[in-house]
Amino acid sequence: MTSGEKRVEIEKELSFGPVHPALIEPYRIRLFVNDEIVEDCELNINMAYRGIEKLFDGLPVERALLIAERVCGICSHVHAWNSVRVIEGGLKIDVPPRANYIRVITQEMQRITSHLILFGHAFEVVGHETFAMRSFLLRESFMDLISYVGGNRVMPSVPIIGGIRPRADLTESLKRVILERIDEFEEKYKGYVARIIEDPLVMSRLTGIGFLTKEDAIKFHATGPTGRASGWDYDVRTKMDEYKPFDFNVITDESCDTKARIVVRALEIFESLKIIRQAVKNLPEGPVVNRSWKAEEMDFTTALLEAYRGELMHSYALDSQGRIRNYKIRTPTPTNLAAMEHACIGDHVTEAILTIASCDPCLTCCTRAEIVDSGKSFVLSDLEIIRKYGWRK
Amino acid sequence: MVMEDVPLFVLGLIASSIVAAAIGVLYSLVLPGIERKVQARIQQRIGPPILTPGFWSVLKFGYKKRVDPNAQMPGLYRSLVYFGIGIVVLLFLFTTPYWWAVLGWGSILGIAGLLKLEEVLYVLMGSQSQSFLSTGMPVPDIAKGSKHIGIKREFVEQHSGERALKMMAIGSLPLYLALLVPFAMAKSTMIRSVVAMQNPGYIMSSNWLSAPLPSSPVLFTLPGILAAIVYFVGYVMLLNEKPFSILKAKIDLIEGGVLEYASKLRAYYYIMRNVLMFALSSIFVTLFIGIPFDPFMPVMMVLNLALSLLLPIMLAALVAFSPILTFRQIYPAAIGLSAIGVLALIISLGV
Repeated sequence: MTSGEKRVEIEKELSFGPVHPALIEPYRIRLFVNDEIVEDCELNINMAYRGIEKLFDGLPVERALLIAERVCGICSHVHAWNSVRVIEGGLKIDVPPRANYIRVITQEMQRITSHLILFGHAFEVVGHETFAMRSFLLRESFMDLISYVGGNRVMPSVPIIGGIRPRADLTESLKRVILERIDEFEEKYKGYVARIIEDPLVMSRLTGIGFLTKEDAIKFHATGPTGRASGWDYDVRTKMDEYKPFDFNVITDESCDTKARIVVRALEIFESLKIIRQAVKNLPEGPVVNRSWKAEEMDFTTALLEAYRGELMHSYALDSQGRIRNYKIRTPTPTNLAAMEHACIGDHVTEAILTIASCDPCLTCCTRAEIVDSGKSFVLSDLEIIRKYGWRK
Repeated sequence: MVMEDVPLFVLGLIASSIVAAAIGVLYSLVLPGIERKVQARIQQRIGPPILTPGFWSVLKFGYKKRVDPNAQMPGLYRSLVYFGIGIVVLLFLFTTPYWWAVLGWGSILGIAGLLKLEEVLYVLMGSQSQSFLSTGMPVPDIAKGSKHIGIKREFVEQHSGERALKMMAIGSLPLYLALLVPFAMAKSTMIRSVVAMQNPGYIMSSNWLSAPLPSSPVLFTLPGILAAIVYFVGYVMLLNEKPFSILKAKIDLIEGGVLEYASKLRAYYYIMRNVLMFALSSIFVTLFIGIPFDPFMPVMMVLNLALSLLLPIMLAALVAFSPILTFRQIYPAAIGLSAIGVLALIISLGV
């Protein structure tokens, strides 16, 4: 602590997790409090290290896709899509427009399910079971639609290199079903959002806590809805060629609190519906996959995509036999972690957990570490990292 | 009462207590199921079978393998739940007619005293319990690189104990204010007078099959309705149910001080909580409607049992539509409700 910084008196420490009924993933929250007020926070991850990046090494690029999709069960499509975008960008593989449209449709459908999971979790944390259950009930419409498109609710496996799987192509009847279902969903969802906004008890729990200013959001690299709820107008979709045909707004909120993070996601669902409608109505005719490509040596290439929780990065290189080398994934959560720790400060203990939940962490996806020492890259287990470098290095 | 009547009275007291306690405890085991069923229907779920949450779960925990608590003084921690059952059963018995004449226990003092004792239990439970789910978790928190090394590290249950103390200080105040109103209207501290004011037929009746109904229930007066509203919210606070379940908020303190009660102890804790739910509902029917739980007048007893469903059903609706409030909302809510309670009290004194 420098002499200019304000000294904070800490009365005690309260710690939760990694085994705790309210934490849906294994992580450790240490709150340093004075009475009920959080003065500092420490989030410790790396409780469920899977070494998934190491699994990619040496695999043929087509097989790697199957692993990429399994990085996360909620964001499965976005990982699969971004994984193929790396090689499509690196080897300049053309993707048919129809395939791009269907990728976008699946992406936005899964964005809606992801945001609805957050509402379910956030309202569970708020203690409002009815809103939590309604959210999961609403989500079912889109889980069904994802399964109609991809054949599976959780792992739809829509993208492949050069396009989409032919079975994921949209028939006329499926297009009609999608349009009907999203109309029904929108009506129910509007009622749901109205009930939340009109509930004074719920709004009193969400408003005025978990402040994260725009400057702090940028300083801590908060991405996705967490950053946009602090007024930071940043959305990777606006820079992506795949999204250029669609008219949609980037939702931001200047309130910078927990309510803003919920509201931004609530409004983003309407934008996703708008995109899906445009994509289904204007779906171009033509092939859905371009198979005229060959895996060959590729330099280290990076692709960015707006995942449901923020910016997602995938990057890898291919060797001369078309096998993957040095796969790196940066999910949105690592960049949001510092923002979460900061946003908790000043909250009551019970509110701090809600603030963390409102940033929508996905800790198992983000838990990975690779050490680059003297130019040689290697992966260590948690225990080895702690033994060699100490905790939190 | 003449000296010759004393043995007969004691006999009646014992018989009445046994019947009342048995019926009260058995009936209380059904209430959580009804509450959960109503809550589930509001949430468009089927919900559990009515006997499962109160009855079968108690039976199930009774047969679970014994797990010793890791509390600082395990013996004391275990005994607190037995004290709790004793307190809530006595609380219920004090409102039954035979106890009205015993040493003034059937009065506002008896009820308020026992309720306060029940609240103190949560402070003691919180200070004792030390589950492995927080500080005790084998995670290298204070290893190299950690923030704030060397400060006091508290178990979540101890924090729950601190919250229980705050709730004792302010959260339960509205309930006590509401309890005072019927007594203020009867201008007496005795339950008998409160019932006599509302239901003179019952006090004069000697026929065990009769069903004298109240002529002027407190509930249907202005101070009575205000006090009933405040009593209901106080009831929710005392039961630590949403929106006032801050001492056992699942999201941070998990179950609070009762976290380490496992197997038989958890079964006893459920019995304690269920009987408290019933006792407070029965007290409401006795004091605000004028129908006491009389084990020797079956119709009055059944009426009291039936009307005792009112508060748990209202509780279920409230729980289904409420989030957990933090002290940021609880303090203003408790102050506002206390103000309504004081207003009801002032009006009742005028009446």
